[in-house]
Amino acid sequence: MNLFSQIGILLRKELVLELRTGYAISGILLYVLSTVFIVYSAFFQGVNNAMMWVTLFWIIMLFASINAIVKSFVQENGNRQLYYYSLLDPLAVIISKMVYNISLLFLLSLLTWAALAFMVGNQIEEFSAFLLALFLGSVGFSILFTFVAAISSKADNNSTLLAILSFPLVIPILMTLIKLSVGATGMLEDTGVGKDIGILVAIDLVLAGLTLVLYPFLWRD
Amino acid sequence: MIRNRISLVCVLTLLVQQMAFAQQASGDFMRSIGRIYVVVAVILIIFFGIVLFLIYLDRKLTKLENQIKENE
Amino acid sequence: MIRQSWWKILAVVLLVYTFTAGMLVPLKPGIADVSPRALQAGTDVEMTITGYNSYYTKAKSDLRAWLKLKGDVVLKATSIEVVDDRTLKLVFKLPAYLPSDSKDDVCSLILDSPVDGAIVLPEGIALTQDSVNLAEGSKLWSVDKMDQLNAGPELTFPYRSVLYETIRNQYFHVPLWFAMLFLFIFSVGFSIRYLRKFDPDADQRALALTRAGFIFGLLGLVTGAIWAKFAWGAYWSWDVKQNMTAVALLIYAAYFILRGAFQDEEKKARLAAVYNIFAFAALIPLIFVIPRLTDSLHPGNGGNPAFGSDDLDNTMRMVFYPAGIGWTLLGFWIAAVSYRIDKLQNKLLDA
Repeated sequence: MNLFSQIGILLRKELVLELRTGYAISGILLYVLSTVFIVYSAFFQGVNNAMMWVTLFWIIMLFASINAIVKSFVQENGNRQLYYYSLLDPLAVIISKMVYNISLLFLLSLLTWAALAFMVGNQIEEFSAFLLALFLGSVGFSILFTFVAAISSKADNNSTLLAILSFPLVIPILMTLIKLSVGATGMLEDTGVGKDIGILVAIDLVLAGLTLVLYPFLWRD
Repeated sequence: MIRNRISLVCVLTLLVQQMAFAQQASGDFMRSIGRIYVVVAVILIIFFGIVLFLIYLDRKLTKLENQIKENE
Repeated sequence: MIRQSWWKILAVVLLVYTFTAGMLVPLKPGIADVSPRALQAGTDVEMTITGYNSYYTKAKSDLRAWLKLKGDVVLKATSIEVVDDRTLKLVFKLPAYLPSDSKDDVCSLILDSPVDGAIVLPEGIALTQDSVNLAEGSKLWSVDKMDQLNAGPELTFPYRSVLYETIRNQYFHVPLWFAMLFLFIFSVGFSIRYLRKFDPDADQRALALTRAGFIFGLLGLVTGAIWAKFAWGAYWSWDVKQNMTAVALLIYAAYFILRGAFQDEEKKARLAAVYNIFAFAALIPLIFVIPRLTDSLHPGNGGNPAFGSDDLDNTMRMVFYPAGIGWTLLGFWIAAVSYRIDKLQNKLLDA
């Protein structure tokens, strides 16, 4: 079995598991909706400011993605890990997880956007720029959280450890994303969009490369 | 050990109080003589940082010494 | 006693040099204050100048002063009275018109002394005139010429109006970052070596280097906060570099927490090495990329001058580079001692 067919099989497995239980998507959706609801009722006068909207969006996304990705390693218990270990290439495991998480997070970010637009109103004017930010953000978040979840899964799925390890690491990505998204609201006449995209792409590529190089070391037990 | 730590905390609290008092007494102390005391403060912080690390190493070594004694 | 001690001796020598030269070399004489700062054309003005590190009484009659407008148009002070070493009284007879096509202009003050050298107070003084007459103004202002400025004392650090003596922190605060960065780089090197050879010794070295780097980072942050309080007005100015360094320290704090989360030595070493490499990669955009793209109060960012001609002149370089090497070597020394203690501890635990 070569790498690609292994990845394909693992992806199908994730999808089947997801469709069978509907656990991740529905749980996350509920999470997003209730967060939006709570935050919206906390700001009595409403979210009328683009900066506030963008910050709110990415904070919801941050916690939603952590919740979504923790599940991807929680459901792998020790025996199943051992089973994978004897059968599969570690690269296939991590790539399939990354690809699955990227698509999950991208879908999730679209849903969050829709939910925010429905409940608070849409502040985004440049759709393509914001979509690009969403995509790059999902890639960055999912690579980072997948990797850190892989580390913390070695410490008995210690979720405190996950938060401690991932929050500082995610700050640069989050800050660049917020800057880029504020640009997409049309509030700023900012010329630095290309630079921000460049930074995000560079960070994503470096993180992806390192994950691929380092995961085989995490994997063996 | 605990007594040591308590006394250290006391000394530090006193020091901070002293500094706060000094600041109130002469608000422009740090700005006097071309703000040279800012440099003094920076050097003192580095010094105390290294001393604190020394204390940490010292305690580690004390433990090791005790262990060697026990082994004998 | 001290193994292979040449670099430790070098560290001590360089730091002794840093402390003596960094503290003893005086600042270049400067102008601390001028009053009044707003002048009216057509009047005689008596201007009081407060000097910094200046020796006016030594220069006495050789002192000269000019007001300088754009395009090398100058007006010489008609009389200079030396009150004491730090105080001068200048008299300017301002012509009725300015060589300018607007009612307001700014000029700089140049003070020349054979003892202190030429001192420029750039664009610090406002000029106003009631009516504009460019031709007449140009004629009136073209009488005086500025000639043969003196060079100042050789061995001085630059005078900066906000920084004053705190410019010396360049040798104590800034090198901490260099040391931190070098320690982290070497630590990553040992983490990589651990993952290639699974040599526990490499992991111990990486741990000790990270610990020393973390201490230096923490000290850099605290000393930076003190300096910021008296240069920028607040301990924490939400400056990009301050924020990014705080985040970097959080990342490395997580490294120590990660190590604490595992009991098994091999697993601990392996995961710590993996995380260390990952964290260092995340550190690069934090320290090098993002601060350069955003406005910062630090030099070298968002349009502020870098360590260029102004902030780091040749005299400062003569102290700054040795200081950087000295502090870095000290960091490695700290790391080495802490590594050797760790190694002893492990040996005792195994026995």
